[in-house]
Amino acid sequence: MITVNHIVKDFKNVDGTINHVLCDVSTEVDAGEKIVIVGPSGSGKSTFLRCLNLLERPTGGQIIFDGVDITAPKTDINLIRRRMGMVFQNFNLFNNLTIMKNLTLAPTKLGIMTEEEAKEKALGLLKRVGLVDKSDVYPASLSGGQKQRIAIVRSLCMNPEVMLFDEPTSALDPEMVGEVLDVMRQLAEEGMTMVVVTHEMGFAREVGTRVLFMADGIIMEENTPQEFFAAPKTQRLQDFLSKVL
Amino acid sequence: MQNLEQMITAAFITEDRWKLYLSGLGVTLEVAFFAGIIGLILGTVLALMKLSVRQNGKPGVLSMISTIYVDIIRGTPSVLQLLIMWFIVMKSSNNGVLVASISFGLNSAAYVSEIVRGGILAVDKGQTEAGRSLGLTSAMTMRYIILPQALKNIIPPLGNEFITLLKETAIVGYVSLNDLTRAANLVQSRTYEAFMPLIGAAIIYFVVIKILTILLGRLERRLRKSDNR
Ligand SMILES: Nc1ncnc2c1ncn2[C@@H]1O[C@H](COP(=O)(O)OP(=O)(O)O)[C@@H](O)[C@H]1O
Ligand SMILES: [Mg+2]
Repeated sequence: MITVNHIVKDFKNVDGTINHVLCDVSTEVDAGEKIVIVGPSGSGKSTFLRCLNLLERPTGGQIIFDGVDITAPKTDINLIRRRMGMVFQNFNLFNNLTIMKNLTLAPTKLGIMTEEEAKEKALGLLKRVGLVDKSDVYPASLSGGQKQRIAIVRSLCMNPEVMLFDEPTSALDPEMVGEVLDVMRQLAEEGMTMVVVTHEMGFAREVGTRVLFMADGIIMEENTPQEFFAAPKTQRLQDFLSKVL
Repeated sequence: MQNLEQMITAAFITEDRWKLYLSGLGVTLEVAFFAGIIGLILGTVLALMKLSVRQNGKPGVLSMISTIYVDIIRGTPSVLQLLIMWFIVMKSSNNGVLVASISFGLNSAAYVSEIVRGGILAVDKGQTEAGRSLGLTSAMTMRYIILPQALKNIIPPLGNEFITLLKETAIVGYVSLNDLTRAANLVQSRTYEAFMPLIGAAIIYFVVIKILTILLGRLERRLRKSDNR
């Protein structure tokens, strides 16, 4: 479904030096896979994820989505992004819109659904995450866990083929982590293709079909969850796991 | 030394001179109003131009044009801008209100564009990213998500800019417009007495601006309230 070919991403620092954040990353995401990405902070996990929907444009390399090279200049990235949901660490709900408008804005303005269709879809999804009663309030009045569940629903309203998660539970109080992971688990069970950056090792072990360890801008190690946690090969991963487990 | 009553009579009552101040205030408000509208529209356009980037993330030609425009306007006195507009650019027009409105509008736009740009940049980048990640175009994201939120940051300084603009119009006498300041000047030249007409005009400006400030304060409070809805 997604093929990542040797992508490189450099950022220019303020002092003019170059920061090589991704150094030749290649991997493949097949339909139905749940890929979990772990690794120390600053290793390039977010940058990698954001390259997948071109929120960051790779400096080099190729990303093929459903047979289309999305890094090619002539590709209309807006059409591709409709098919890829993204959930952020800080939720990023639209502060000026009610929850219902948050959910229906993109489908209606992009002409994918009528107002009624979008509302119906949104209500159905809100019901599933138990937040129907919040449809007319503004994001500011929700808890973090509620915001993140709404953010997931907002992406799902577009009927995406793949969902990208960037540390979806890292900004949450501990007691709210579970409610968000439950929604993600449910999504995984329904067969959604998922790429998840997280520090929740339990989730990685349980839900992941493959776990990637990123360090120093490369995928240093990847394996099935069982092997990944039971028999880490590199010293870096062993050190990392001994710290987080 | 005349007594106070005589001074007031000479400055405001004789020959219905109060009408001069009133029509002068009318001209002042008219120029400020039209210039404000021009400034708001052009300023917003300039701000969006300045924020526009090419696909590689670097500023494009629109952005450079906007930067240069703002630089030139801010780097030259507004009196000169007005004179250039009146005697050179719009030489064929003898509609002073029109020329002054355009001149002050073009001037105000530079300051408005900085205000609008600042207001837009103050909106969390995550809002844009969320919009774009759903497939919304940058124009849609701007219109439905960013601008409505930026408005809260923009309105208070915009009000201040309008007040500054209103006061700056006191130089339109240079292009033969009889605004409030010029009215005071005219009366002074008739009565050979400066105190009453000048202080009188100053009080009128002050009252008008005070009213605007109070209205602006109310609007700001309303905007702040909607933060915690
Ligand atoms: N927009 C940016 N501009 C400059 N440097 C950036 C930018 N985004 C990320 N970086 C740098 O890239 C590196 C990796 O960041 P990130 O991908 O966020 O790591 P992680 O998500 O694994 O913590 C960091 O050193 C960070 O400072
Ligand atoms: Mg990160």
